[in-house]
Amino acid sequence: MFVTALPTIAQMVGTNRILRGVAITHPTGDPSLGLDEELSLRRRLLERALEMLATDVGPNTVWELA
Amino acid sequence: MIVHYLNQFFAGLGGEEAAGHEPVRLDGPQGPGRALAAAGASPDVTLACGDDRFGEHEADSLRTLLGWLDELRPDVLICGPAFGAGRYGYACGVLAREAGRRGIPVVTAMTPDSPGLMAAEGAAYIVPTSSNVGGMKAVVPIVAGLASRLASGAPIGDADQEGYLPRGLRTMVRADRTGARRAIDQLLAKLAGDLHTEVGPTRDRVPPAPALKDMAQARLALVTEAGCVPQGNPDRLPTRHANTWLRYPIDDRDSLAGGAFESVHAGFDTTAANADPNRLVPLDAARALEREGAFGVLHGAFYTTSGVDTPVAAAARFGREIAAELRAADVAAVILTGT
Amino acid sequence: MVSTLADLEIATFAVDEVVEGTQTGWSDGRLTVSLPQLAVGAGLPALAEATVEVVRPGDPVRISNVLDAVVPTVKPDALASTFPGALGTGERGCTGRTNRLDGVAVLSACDWERSGFVGPDELPDSIVDMAGPGADRSPFGATTNLVLRFVPANGAHVETVDDAIRRETLRVARELAAATIGLGPRDVETFRWPPTDHADASLPAVVAIVQVASEGPLTDTFWLGEPMRGFEPFEVDPRAILDGWLISGAYDWAAVRNVTAAYQRAPLLRDLLAGHGERLRCAGATLAPGYLDTAEEKQRSAELSAELAARLGADGAICTTFSSGNSHTDTMLTVRACERRGIKTVALVCETNGGLTDHVPEADSLISTGNEDELVAPWTPARVVGTDEPARAGEPVPTWAYLSACSQMGETTWTAVPT
Repeated sequence: MFVTALPTIAQMVGTNRILRGVAITHPTGDPSLGLDEELSLRRRLLERALEMLATDVGPNTVWELA
Repeated sequence: MIVHYLNQFFAGLGGEEAAGHEPVRLDGPQGPGRALAAAGASPDVTLACGDDRFGEHEADSLRTLLGWLDELRPDVLICGPAFGAGRYGYACGVLAREAGRRGIPVVTAMTPDSPGLMAAEGAAYIVPTSSNVGGMKAVVPIVAGLASRLASGAPIGDADQEGYLPRGLRTMVRADRTGARRAIDQLLAKLAGDLHTEVGPTRDRVPPAPALKDMAQARLALVTEAGCVPQGNPDRLPTRHANTWLRYPIDDRDSLAGGAFESVHAGFDTTAANADPNRLVPLDAARALEREGAFGVLHGAFYTTSGVDTPVAAAARFGREIAAELRAADVAAVILTGT
Repeated sequence: MVSTLADLEIATFAVDEVVEGTQTGWSDGRLTVSLPQLAVGAGLPALAEATVEVVRPGDPVRISNVLDAVVPTVKPDALASTFPGALGTGERGCTGRTNRLDGVAVLSACDWERSGFVGPDELPDSIVDMAGPGADRSPFGATTNLVLRFVPANGAHVETVDDAIRRETLRVARELAAATIGLGPRDVETFRWPPTDHADASLPAVVAIVQVASEGPLTDTFWLGEPMRGFEPFEVDPRAILDGWLISGAYDWAAVRNVTAAYQRAPLLRDLLAGHGERLRCAGATLAPGYLDTAEEKQRSAELSAELAARLGADGAICTTFSSGNSHTDTMLTVRACERRGIKTVALVCETNGGLTDHVPEADSLISTGNEDELVAPWTPARVVGTDEPARAGEPVPTWAYLSACSQMGETTWTAVPT
């Protein structure tokens, strides 16, 4: 599945499992957070990604970290 | 010099029982070739092949057919019309693609849903037909007209004008007004209920893969288009217009350290990413989750390219190549990160 | 309409011929330029070298490493206000008389890579062909161009050099136009804002949402001389864009670059202003940022643009796009936000061989400004201007390399059709 800060482009090209990333310049991180918080965010992103991989979805589906 | 490709049925070699017929070369027009001749595009040579023969022995059949085309050096190749016949349409499409690669202009005809369309990869002028042979009368003059002009090197107009299916190419032409004037005119028309567009999205869809059933056993791979490479870019991944992808081992790593890895992607500010490359390829978190059993095992390498100004055909190729390698390694799922 | 002091009057002087001479002047279609008098680059320590050359349509010349193109312009009654902020120090208005030359452009060129200011391939090729198969790609293949070639001084700071290049280019543009002061133009157009003529209220109100972006030195856009970093959508007097308030300092992706001339000429704004009361009501213009970094920022900005358009009473909006890449997402989200508020939109986008960069279902009415991946046949120019080695000589040239060929401000007639 695809982690990106630009889910509309991903939907347009036909990607089916899309997880909204943090930013263009750091899809799986956030430099404004402290180290621990940032790693924790990254873990949660990956856990959400795994959840999406284990779920049946329709075409061009975008999930958020929520 | 016009060459015409037909299947076993239209070449008069037999019906379904002749679908395994080997490729043959015949003089002059055969079957619908006679109608083409009457419409001004008379085939000098006809090539024919059984639909099943082509489908099951594609490489062999192509070798023979292309060998003849190389000898004959036609000014144009006409394939079909295949109408709704899937195997025949596919053969026409593949032959068109290969002939196109040899610089031979091709005209073919089939239903718009035929597998031959994708197989042709934009190499042929494809005239849309009905699914049954009743459409022959309507389509012959269009095919003959296009073929004659291609053979003589005359220019072919755009798809809507000429009656062929868009090949997926978009050609620059001069409009009669500036883009600004067209924008105002088009908006006013839209406000009045008359909707037009000069361009729309392209279609290329695959259905979603079914949910992964056994995550605890699954092998997972990390792939990125963010241009993440070892510091110094030792293998010279292009910063833009990449024609390649690379892989780097991560079996002995728990994290992508700043200073050990960097991004060479020319399309975004890499400061944050270079300070901590896990912000592009989330190895540290993946490793932690692997240890906790959230999934089976992390694949021993990550894959990388720079997704800037990448030709679509190249990107599609990277995807196929990386996927082939991952499948061979029993990777069940990929987490792809993009910028 | 009878002109008032509050109107902008653009007086156009035709230039059919450019000759070099001892004194810069304009007479009856002939522009004489004294290159020594222009003294390009004189006294600017940031520039090691500055040369000027006149290049004409039909010359076997490829102009390489082009940065910007500027329409020669002057405010004859307020010289110091010409290009306010970026060059001018006077009062900032977009009213009164502006004299402009038509048929000649000032182009700046600099090989940043050769001077070590950027890495290889950081700035893609940027060319204008004056002859050959690519001559009609760039609109500047059809104008006589004064090409200012700059070489940065070693050790100078990139922003200082870029600033010096920009000022010199604008200054030369002003000095050329200044040759027309006191003389009779070919035509005068009057632009009034806000409109005072009563237009039929049943005519649809149309706003122009002009996308610009400023991502740092060599990829900046300037408003009154300031780089437009981190701005929110705001309303502008459309005439300000026509009158030199918006200046380009962005040098990537030549075909979809909004050169300064694109803002000065902006047929989108001229046609909306001129069309007020006829087929439409002009609801004005707004500037919107492109290339915002996160999906949230892009979404928020799109909403702000749409809200602004709604406040201006727009029934319809025309959205322009700045350059290529993820700015197209900003355009599409703006289209969606407008449509969700009942504002019908048309957007201008350039295509690639891979189709559209981004799309949303609400973007059902698009203008294509061409296919920037289309290859132009190889050509070997007899001469190159702007740097030492002509880019891609003897090789096919992708359309994206030709200056302004596919501008998404809509000032050329290039488009793409399915074949």
